[in-house]
This record gives sequence, structure tokens and C-alpha cells, in this order.
Amino acid sequence: MKKFALLMLWACSVCSPIIAQNDIEFREFTLDNGLHVIMHKDNSTPIVVTSVLYHVGSKNENPERTGFAHFFEHLLFEGSEHIGRGEYSKKIQSEGGTLNAYTSNDITYYYESLPSNKLEMALYMESERMLHAKIDEEGVETQREVVKEEKRQRYDNQPYGTILPETLKRAYAEHPYQWAPIGSLEHLNEASLDEFMDFYKSFYVPNNATLTIAGDIDYAQTEEWVKMYFSEIPAGAKEIYRPSIEEPKKVTEIRDVVYDNIQIPAVIQAYNLPPKNDPDSYAMDMLSTYLTGGNSSLMTKELVDKQQKALAVAAIPLDLEDGGIFIMYGITNMGIKAEDLESEIDLLVKQVQDEGVSEQDFKKLQNIIENDLVSKNATMSGIAQNLSQSHVFYGDTDHINNELELYRDVSREDLQRVAKKYLTLDGRVVLYYLPKSEQNQQ
Amino acid sequence: MVLSTVGYAQVDRSKYPEPGPAPKIELEDPATFTLDNGLKVFVVENHKLPRVAFSLVINRDPILEKEKAGMTGFVGDMLTAGTSNRSKDELDEEVDFIGASLSAGSTSIYASSLKKHQGKILDLMADVLYNPIFPQEELDKLKKQAITALATSKDDPNSISGKLTAALVFGKDHPYGEIQTEETLENITVEDIETYYQTYFKPNIAYLAIVGDIDKKEAEKVVKDHFSKWERGEVPELNYEMPSLPENNRVALVDRSASVQSVIDITYPLEMSLNNDEYLDTRVLNYILGGGSTSRLFMNLREDKGYTYGAYSSIGSDKLVTSFSAGASVRTAVTDSAIHEFIYEIHRIVEEGVNEEELDAAKASLSGSFGRALESPSTLANFAINIDRYDLPKDFYTTYLQRLSALTVDDINRAAKKYIKPENMYITIVGNGSDLKGKLEQFGEVSLFDNQGNPAKEIEMTDANITAEKVIGKYIDAIGGEDAVSSLETAKIVMKAEVQGQVIEMTVLYDDPGMRFNQKVAMMGNTVSSTTLADGKGSVVAMGNTQELNDEQYEEAKMNMFLVPELHYGELMYSLSLDGIKDVEGENAYKVVVSNPTGAKTVNYYSVDSGLKIKSENEKSGEMMFLDYEEKNGVLYPMKNIVKSPMIPVPLNTTVESLEFNPSLTDEDFK
Repeated sequence: MKKFALLMLWACSVCSPIIAQNDIEFREFTLDNGLHVIMHKDNSTPIVVTSVLYHVGSKNENPERTGFAHFFEHLLFEGSEHIGRGEYSKKIQSEGGTLNAYTSNDITYYYESLPSNKLEMALYMESERMLHAKIDEEGVETQREVVKEEKRQRYDNQPYGTILPETLKRAYAEHPYQWAPIGSLEHLNEASLDEFMDFYKSFYVPNNATLTIAGDIDYAQTEEWVKMYFSEIPAGAKEIYRPSIEEPKKVTEIRDVVYDNIQIPAVIQAYNLPPKNDPDSYAMDMLSTYLTGGNSSLMTKELVDKQQKALAVAAIPLDLEDGGIFIMYGITNMGIKAEDLESEIDLLVKQVQDEGVSEQDFKKLQNIIENDLVSKNATMSGIAQNLSQSHVFYGDTDHINNELELYRDVSREDLQRVAKKYLTLDGRVVLYYLPKSEQNQQ
Repeated sequence: MVLSTVGYAQVDRSKYPEPGPAPKIELEDPATFTLDNGLKVFVVENHKLPRVAFSLVINRDPILEKEKAGMTGFVGDMLTAGTSNRSKDELDEEVDFIGASLSAGSTSIYASSLKKHQGKILDLMADVLYNPIFPQEELDKLKKQAITALATSKDDPNSISGKLTAALVFGKDHPYGEIQTEETLENITVEDIETYYQTYFKPNIAYLAIVGDIDKKEAEKVVKDHFSKWERGEVPELNYEMPSLPENNRVALVDRSASVQSVIDITYPLEMSLNNDEYLDTRVLNYILGGGSTSRLFMNLREDKGYTYGAYSSIGSDKLVTSFSAGASVRTAVTDSAIHEFIYEIHRIVEEGVNEEELDAAKASLSGSFGRALESPSTLANFAINIDRYDLPKDFYTTYLQRLSALTVDDINRAAKKYIKPENMYITIVGNGSDLKGKLEQFGEVSLFDNQGNPAKEIEMTDANITAEKVIGKYIDAIGGEDAVSSLETAKIVMKAEVQGQVIEMTVLYDDPGMRFNQKVAMMGNTVSSTTLADGKGSVVAMGNTQELNDEQYEEAKMNMFLVPELHYGELMYSLSLDGIKDVEGENAYKVVVSNPTGAKTVNYYSVDSGLKIKSENEKSGEMMFLDYEEKNGVLYPMKNIVKSPMIPVPLNTTVESLEFNPSLTDEDFK
């Protein structure tokens, strides 16, 4: 068996220079008003995905007005000067399409997928949103209610729902990453219509946007329509606020307890990460897969299956433009104390730091990553998203085609090295989530 | 640029741009070939990504499993549970190692990987196809999981509704209507699975779809290498009687007293298959009636009336037989109003038909989803398989959109008259029977069913003089009489239960004269929780945290703090009401609703025959069955409980390990 495994390794190392990924072709141009446009033509299916990435997330917000970017994710569906209130989603759906949007700490992303003969309509609708979205009291009021319900449903009413906001709050002392995209409802309530208008004019401008069109298109026709609908949109008059706040390196561990509406305690650990485009990001991503990706991963096998100290464990690298956090959480099994689970997690992290990753596991990791990367580009919506993020985060749209190479550059030694470099005990945040009932005691 | 900006400024923003001509959807026929053993292979070349997927589908007739119902559900996991060459762990590790996936079902095996691991994943797939060993321990594990899931489903209103409608529409002796029970699951053996595999996993009734980075030539080679030694076999053809429509509308009710919502499903059997000329007409018809969030049912029941979060309909398609269905989950109080609106809309679409605007919206939505589905290359493989399997015209899918767009209002109206049967429907409700009393008769004859879709015995109260107090009296007599029962003052009961492989031990102390109670739950020797009621107060200690009960919680907990609570109902000023005779797991029982002064309710069921209490229900703590009564100190006491609670994931089977009456208990015991 061992001989067989060795043989297999040898065979794979021979084939590894052959890169599995087929290149994603694209064309791009920038309008005079600064709008960056990326097109990917694939005529195999008569659908087209149109997306706009606005380079604004919660980190661009005023600390007194958090939640604005996410609020706009909702507000910009209210309509425009020519599109009636509530019509935006209905129109897309009645034309046979689907649509959605999301907001992160760094970006806001809108997209719709439609039959390809309706591309002009999609471009018209996105241009309406960029040129003169409907921002009035009525829309603001409606969406405040919707966002309130969303916050209740997804954060307050959800066991462990507040992990992200609570962790960010402690992981950053200076940087605006300290608040989560959902932000504060009080801030939204206090904000005046003028402030919303001002935020719109500052960030939802062509020079802060990337328009991506992927699917069954004709390059020349698409370019013509893009110019027709988007050229008249004026560039933003103001300089776009991008925080240049450097988060100071933490030297002591931050430890805290959050009492929540839960039954079972959880342990959360967070370690600060380098900026998203740092080469170490790839190693950290692979490390997270090694630790908790799938049933045969180190922590799942050891803590969930063997020792049965945890019901679930997960390591999630939240890689952000200015340096995100590596979040690890474990939910304890019946009768296990948070402390006990934490010390087992620490032991396993230390094991990786001391002993690294075996050759066999490393190879498996590379195979899993490769499969995942290839699958990311299986759909037009996946391609549109990767293209626009490649441009915005890496300043190079072709990053979509280089990503696998960058993962391949990660060595076994790198995994051990980044485990030592970033998973340091003195700068981390440790949170215990405990049942509220426990708080009454103290 | 200046020029062009001026030029584009003319753009008319006041209206939506007209769509271009509908895109021509060019569906390339997959390459196809057939092996000597009869295996039909379809190859959809798609070189966009370096991936390849192999999907093997067995095309057999539906099977009536009878006393082994549930067997086919185990086949897939058993197939991938190890081969004569590899243990399950080895198989998993080899699949994981190349980042691939491999799975199986009762009529399928699916494998996919990156192109460069194609050889390896095919070897693994073929190993599973040829050499499965069907280990007994895997079957034991699967049975246990299935029985647990079954127990959970008996309490889930949507599962109950699914079983009820399947049984009504197709009949219980039809493959689509039969249901699994603990018994049928227990009956399944490794030999059954082996026999099934030997009978049906034959190339002459199988399709292999290959999708991805591969051409026909290569596909032919790898298929020959891996699948040509697969041997043909005689496969039985199975036929079933066609289910018939009910002669008029019939109401079927499952009484689930814990329900705050009613699950409504209005349904009847229907013949509709892909090869029916009016297949597309019924797609459009259904979309307009209730296929989406702009359809009539949704607009009426949710947007206009606010009865529900969503109301939908469906018209199935199946080679054998399918059904029409329209349903929603609605607040109990509006159950009859909601049914009324459903019936109104069902009538309206038959009598008034649809309009042009609705037709256009339905066409746009259906052609949009057809187009989007094509993005996945496996759709093309499915199309090719469907054409063969349902004997469709070769251009069925290439003309799909043209045929869809050619449909007229008249076509849809004709289909409505033909396929919608407003007078021949089963109107099914899973909900709180007491609250629905008298409200459902207006829709048709009402029959009661149990949570397994069996007719519930309609039970008449034969004894007109019976009262709740008399039922309680009978119960006290049945367990030994008032004297014997009142002589029990204290008790110590130790019970055990197993949940997911772990043993839970529960120790309960009763001190009736002292009004004290303690219950400790321990796992692996550690106390997990301890509940104490004493001195008019209550507290729960769990995982080191103490929670004091407030007055209302204490009053509610008090309802169960006595060894035989029935003895204390009078002095506690509880009010009792008798709510008829119900069928409890096949036994007739008086339903007695016990309310405490703060309004909390406990529902007890007492056997009509034996007088014994067989079940107790409480909105918060769930339900408990009492079984295996045994005599001790002249009193009958249940040695087994089955506890179902919203707080525990699976029903808990607890058995009494030791039972001690009138031990001396100390203050320490209730600290």
C-alpha cells in the first residue's frame, strides 16, 4: 500500500506542471467617467449575467453612520426616476430572470441573470440605478423596516448570529473593520435623507464601479449599449473616501465572554490576517481547508469524530482588502466546557506549527483546492463575480486565470510557516459564547 | 468621445428598451452509442472546464416494496459502503484524495472529477458498480437512522401531509402511495439489497451520461474499458392499476393538537407525462394558477389576504401517474377561509380562463428558466435521456421554446377545463382538530386520518354519562384504587435512555406530602441538569448555570411534580374537560384537557378499555407515551416512556431501571 501511495505521488508530481485550468477570456475598457467594464463572451447558453460591483463596503462608512452600504444594497432596489417603486425585481423576474445583491466590508455587488436578448434592458436598469436612483423618505422608511427584520432574523434571533460583529469589534481597535456590514439600526434611524443622498453621490458613481457582462453577447454591440446608457452618468465630484487607517499590531490576547440566547457554549478564536492580496493569503486559505474542510480534515476528524468534544468546528479566513481575520469556532458537545474544547483546538494548532503537514495530506489539499477553483468558474454568475473581484481587489482582471498558479506556489513549508506567523497566541481574540442563563449568576 | 457622448444623450430613458429577437437556442444533440450489452451512452462535450462527470441511470419501473417499504432508500449508501477491493474508509479516502465526488442512489451512480483524475474516478466507480459487498453493519446504521427519521416525521405536519396525500391520491398499494413503518424498515435484510442490485443493476436498462471535457472517441474507449464486461440480465416489467379520481370533493383531516398552523393540500391524481401533447399547456396553466410569486394563488392568499407566507400549486409529470396539488400553511383561524379561496381560484381558472397578460408573463418566466437550466451541461444529457426514455419526438427540446411561445389563451383555457377538476379533489388538512370542528363540512364529507395516512377510527362516545372526572376516577381504580395510590408518598425512580449512542440516566425523586420534586439527568456519570421544585419555588441547574423559575413557570412545572398528579387536580383547582375519544397509536382513549389556574394546559389520554393513562401532551415539554404498566406496592406503574420534545432531536425511549416507593428522602435531596 505504501509503495502504491509513493508511486501515485510520483505520478502526480510529474503531471502537476500541466495546469488544469482553461483560461477565461475577457475584454475590458474604461469609460471617460471612470466606469470600468469587463465583458466575457460565451455563446453556449442564451443567457447573460450583468453585474455591478460598487467599491464601497462597511469600511467606507462614517463611524457614526454604520450600516449605510448594506442599507444601500436594499435602497437601490426601490426604483429610479423612470423605474417605479418596487418594480425593479418584478420586472427582472417577469422577463424570465433572477437577481440578487450582497454587501461585505469592502464591496457591494448587484447582479441579474436574464435571457440574452434582454441585455439592453439589464444595462438600462443598472444605468438608471447609477444615474438617478430613487432616494426619498418613503423608500428609506420602507427599507429601514426591511433591514430591521433582516437584522432580527439573521443576527439577533439566530443562535451565534452575532459572532461576526462581536469578533470584529474586538479584533480591530482602529480600523473601520471593527463594525460589520449590518451596522447599527440607531445610526440608520438617526440619519437624514441628505446624508443618504450624500452617500449615494459619493460612492455609487461610475468611477467607483465595475460593470461586468458575462454570457451570450456580441462584444461590439455590448460595448455600444454600455456607452449608450452609461456614458452620460457623471463621474463623482468628490474624492472617494478609502480609509488609510493602519491597524496596530496587537501584542496581548483579548479574551471576553458573550452571553447569547443559546443552549450550547461555543469558542471563537480570531487571528489578524495580512491584506487580501498578500501571497500568504493562499497559504492561509489552504490551512483552513486542512484544519476543518470536510470530514477527513484534521480538526473535524480529531475533535468531532474521535474525541467528540465538539459538535462542529470551522476555520474561515475572512480575507479583506486591508487585512481580515482568520476565524475559528467550535461548538461544544454535551457536557464539555468551552475551556476544554479551546485547549484541544490550541493543541492541534500547535501540532501544525510544530510538525507541519504530511506530504500525503498536502497533495490531497492541492487536489481539493484545484477542484474547488475550477468549479468556481462553472457558471456565468461565478465568472462575472470572479472577473470583477479580480479587477477590484488585485488590480488585474487576469488574476482569475493566475489564481491556481498562486495556490501552486504555496509549499508544504509555507503552511507550517504561516501557521506560526499568523496563528499567534499573543495577538488573538478569544470569545466564549455562553448561555444567557449563566450571566444571571455572575 | 465628446461627439459620442452627445449622440448617446438622446437615449430614451422613459421606457424599458425592447428586447431583441428571442435568442435561438441551439441544442446540440449529444453524441451517442450503445454497447453490446445494451448500455446507452450519451456524451455532452464541454471543454470549458477541465472536469468530467459520469452519471449512470437505471431506468426501471416503479417498485411496490410492500412489507419491505423503504428498502430502495438504502441501496445507494449500501453501494458505496465498501467493495471487495476497498473498505468504506479506503474508498472515501481515495475519492477525497483526488478532490472528486462519488455517490449512488437506488437507480444511479454518479462520479465526477477533474479531467486529469478521470482514470482514477472511473476505476472507483466501476469498483462500486461491480464489487459492492453490502456490509451488515452499514445496513444496521442506516436502519437506525431511518427509524429515527421516521419517528421525527410522525410529528412533522408537512411529512404527515405528504403521507396522507400520497395514500389518498395513489392508494397504499401503489408504489407512490405506500409508506414506510418501523416494521417494514426492520424487515429489510442485506439479502434484499443484494437481490435488488442483482435484478436491476443491468446495462440493458441503463443510461450513462458523460458530460464535460471529453470527446466521443475517448468516451467510447473509456466506456468500453470500464463497462463492456457488465452483463445483461432479464429485468421484470411492472404494471399498476391507475388511481381514480374521487367522485366528489372529500375532506381529509389529521388532528394534530399541537398545531398552530394548518397544512392544506388540495390534490387529486392526474395523468401527465413529458410525452403528452398538452404537457407545455399544463406548465403554463400551473404557472398562472400558482407556479410563482406573481401567480393567482400567491397574489390572493398572501398579498391580498395575508393568510400565509406562500401559496402555490403544481401539476406533476411522470411516466406512470402524477398529481395536481395546491397548498399552503396557514394560521389555524383562517383555515376555512383559505380553503375557500383555493377553491375559488381553482374554479375561476376553469370557468373564466386566463388572460393575455398572464399568458405572456408565464411564457417569459418559463422560457427564462428553460434557458438558465441550459447553462449546466448536464441538462443536455438529461434531455437526451428523456427523449429516449419517454419516447419523445427527436426535436422535443429544440422546438420547446417555439412551442411554448405559440400557445394561446384558448389552448390554456382548454387545458384548464380538461385537467383541473374542481369537483373531484381531496382537500387535506393537518391541523388542530378541536379548533377546526364544524368548519370543514362545507367543503365535503370529512374523514379523519392518523399521522400515517391510515383512516382514524371515527369514535363515538358510547357512554353519554361519562365525564372527565369519571375518566380520572376510572384511571385511579385501574392503577390500584385510591387507597393504594394515596399510600404512596415518596418515590425514587431511576430511568435510562439511549440517544445517539450515549446513555442518559434520569433519577426522579417525588415527595408528595412535602410538595417536593427533583429530577437529575446524567450523562457518562456527570450530572447535566437538575430540576428542583420545593418550598413553592423551582430552579433548573444545567451545565453549572442556575435558572430560577418564575411564578408562571413554577405553576406549569407543578402540573407534573406529583407521582400521580391526578390525585391532586382537585386541591390544585385545576379544571378538567373531556374532548371525546381519540385514536392513540391504535388504541381508543379519552382525551382530557387539564388547565391550571394560570392557563397552562396538559392533555392526557386514558385508554377506554383499560382505563390506564397512555399518553400526555404539553405544548412546551412535548409528549410522553406510557407503556408496560407493572404492579409494585399494589399500584400499576409504567415501566417504559417514549418522550418527544421540541428540545430533543429524536424521540427518547426511557425504561425504568429501578423503582422504589416510600423511601425516606432528606432535605439534602432537594437542595
